[in-house]
Amino acid sequence: MVVSYSKNIATVKLNRGSHHNRINENMAFELQDAFGHLGQNPSVRVVILSGVGEYFCKGTDFPPISSQLSNVSYESTLEMLRVSDVVASIRQPVIAVINGDAIDQGMELTLACDIRIASTSAMFGLTQMSKGYIPWDGGSQRLPRLIGQGRAMEMILNSRIIGVDEALHMGLITSEVPPEKLENIGLLMASTIASHGPTATQYLKEAVLKGSDLTLRQGLRLEADLSFLLQTTSDRSEGIKSFLERRKPEYKGE
Amino acid sequence: MKTVLCSKTGSVFSIVLNRPEVINAFNVQMRDELYMSLGSACDDPTVKVIAISGAGERGFCAGADLGEFGSAPSIATAREVRWERDLWGMFLSVKKPVIVALHGYVIGSGLEIACLGDIRIASRDAVFSMPEAALGLLPAAGGSQTLARVVGQSRAVEILQMGIKIDADKAKNIGLVHEVIPRKNLHDRLLSVSNSLASINPSLLAAVKRSVNEGMDLSLEGGIRLEKRLAASSIQAL
Repeated sequence: MVVSYSKNIATVKLNRGSHHNRINENMAFELQDAFGHLGQNPSVRVVILSGVGEYFCKGTDFPPISSQLSNVSYESTLEMLRVSDVVASIRQPVIAVINGDAIDQGMELTLACDIRIASTSAMFGLTQMSKGYIPWDGGSQRLPRLIGQGRAMEMILNSRIIGVDEALHMGLITSEVPPEKLENIGLLMASTIASHGPTATQYLKEAVLKGSDLTLRQGLRLEADLSFLLQTTSDRSEGIKSFLERRKPEYKGE
Repeated sequence: MKTVLCSKTGSVFSIVLNRPEVINAFNVQMRDELYMSLGSACDDPTVKVIAISGAGERGFCAGADLGEFGSAPSIATAREVRWERDLWGMFLSVKKPVIVALHGYVIGSGLEIACLGDIRIASRDAVFSMPEAALGLLPAAGGSQTLARVVGQSRAVEILQMGIKIDADKAKNIGLVHEVIPRKNLHDRLLSVSNSLASINPSLLAAVKRSVNEGMDLSLEGGIRLEKRLAASSIQAL
């Protein structure tokens, strides 16, 4: 895995090109560690998650089952390999810049991101059923919430792989981009978000994600409370002042 | 009332946002007047459908009037006032169908008002966006909650975080509006949709709206139980 920074944007790239960027214990540990730190880093406003090479991530490299004592201990192996929750739980928005196939755990990882854009060459699928198990890194929960239960059920039950056109149509991704332009467009999106008020951006993420687990009335409470809390920050007055003075805002994240 | 015009034709109650000189920017006075208008539309038993639109050529509503921001004496007072006249909460409790006609600029709180309605009709020239985050703000009329429920989390996050502008065709495509028609037909279409709903038994309309909206907040099992209960009482009433 490689992490690079350009101003206030951090880019995390899966880097096991020779293994189609499949996630092994090492990569899982690095991802958990990197996202844990990025979430705590106030100078990072947006995170991009992408892959090195031809693929985004084609799934998991499981340690051999024979090395396990029982089914119970394999559960802890899966626990070690899980990466989606830590990606979903950081404060800053995460953009999945999907440079190629995102299959199984690779697709589950993209579902944990806030915005997904993909190269025209990318394919998506949760094909665990065809291998005799079920999605285990959030796929069975996040996919129905993103594209609706009927579509998610059909994709997972059939282990069906789809292309970008269909992914765009079902709202799984928000845009498809020619491969040579993908990285730039991802950076452009990230810098647009990074130019917004960082506290507002983080609160927005919290309001949407936490709100989807609440009733609408409770969600409105959360939104209003965050909105009042935001009024205590200097960024909020800077945003309105700059708009009224017709200039670019300068946010400090405080 | 100045910032909101109300009228009643048959059983359709029309509410028109009326600050065309500032593209119907939403201010404190408009909030209060909308609160009163919506309240009387709910209370009047002869009203079956509520139709909302914006006056003037330029748009439905260009968002909150930023000139008034921070004018509350304190944050605590602002919070108190927010819940004292809970306009957005009132929208959620309206039992009658709310139809919204959208043209030109539908920005920020304009889009949030639209999302609190039940049916959205747009003219071809309509442009939608939520620029709050770019201004260091959060949507505060429910946008961070309602938009995701209308267009799904994926697209909602993009609209909210990027502040992108969406045209009428894309809005139709992602399910944000139900219909896109030429501007010159918008007013008539609003009336014809409203009238056709007004011809349906209002208690049925209320039951369906409640079943769908309340059901979204329940477990599937709870939603199905609610539906059964509502259906039983509507059959009983035949």
